[in-house]
Amino acid sequence: MIDTSLVVSPFPGIFFHLKQTFWLYGWPFLIGFLTIAGYQIVGRVVILGAVKWPTVFCLASLVSMTSLFGWVTMVRRVEMIPFYGCGAGLASAVMSRIYAITMPVHPRLGVRTPKVIWRGNKEDIKRLQEVLRGSRSVSDPG
Amino acid sequence: MSRALVLLAAALIPGAWAQSPVPRPAPEFRIAELSGRSTLLSSLRGRITVLAFISTECVHCQRASVVFERLSHEFSAKLQVLEVAFNEGADPAAFARRFGLTFPVGTSSSAEVHRFLGIPAGERLGTPQVVVIDSKGIIRAQSERLGTPLLQTPEYLPSLIRALLKRELMP
Repeated sequence: MIDTSLVVSPFPGIFFHLKQTFWLYGWPFLIGFLTIAGYQIVGRVVILGAVKWPTVFCLASLVSMTSLFGWVTMVRRVEMIPFYGCGAGLASAVMSRIYAITMPVHPRLGVRTPKVIWRGNKEDIKRLQEVLRGSRSVSDPG
Repeated sequence: MSRALVLLAAALIPGAWAQSPVPRPAPEFRIAELSGRSTLLSSLRGRITVLAFISTECVHCQRASVVFERLSHEFSAKLQVLEVAFNEGADPAAFARRFGLTFPVGTSSSAEVHRFLGIPAGERLGTPQVVVIDSKGIIRAQSERLGTPLLQTPEYLPSLIRALLKRELMP
């Protein structure tokens, strides 16, 4: 309760409410999204089998640490459950549209970076299938 | 139709029905300090007072205390900050030492705090309960019964104090 006759600058109040809205609702949504998307990305990278184990180890550690950090810093109240759920749901929906995630070497940085191949991208899917077929025939000569 | 909408909005805003009148004259209040001395709130007239009712175990109170400490330095002569711990077994001296507080931290009973805030005795209070009193002894801002985080933030509280100072300078 604040005396309405006082002329207080609205910006600190607006800034506070934006910050509060982010931490109360945006943060659980983001953590829900990152948890599901992160674990699915790790899963797909592992299944792909073309990535060295230290990279897999680092990726999996990073994802689980992000998830745990989110859980520790999240305001845990009943109202946050739908936001966490919506974040997780959105991540699952987005991931269902992804055909594969590859780790090609970045042309400029020279390090492996994740590349998303969407289900609608027929060209990249065909190219990936050809690469996989080629690597299978090399590894299984008989 | 519009009246129904206003009523609906009021019902949806937590605590809207429980709004106690602000501004209102601050009732008298005695703060017992550890030294054995007691301070009367009315003796602080002439300066803006931020009076916070806290629980020494509450994390929000601990964070808010650090904000109040910063404010007491920022506005030095124009502002008096006081904290009153009203949880059972409160040790205000240890609390002040732990958080490096230089303003007075005293104690009072829960019943006295309820009376001062105009909240029926026994009702649960969210802490800290922050009260901003102008130099004439009028309460200009007060936390809702379950707490108002806005009144504990380093962004908003200085603006509120500046607005009060500006108003007091006006003829």
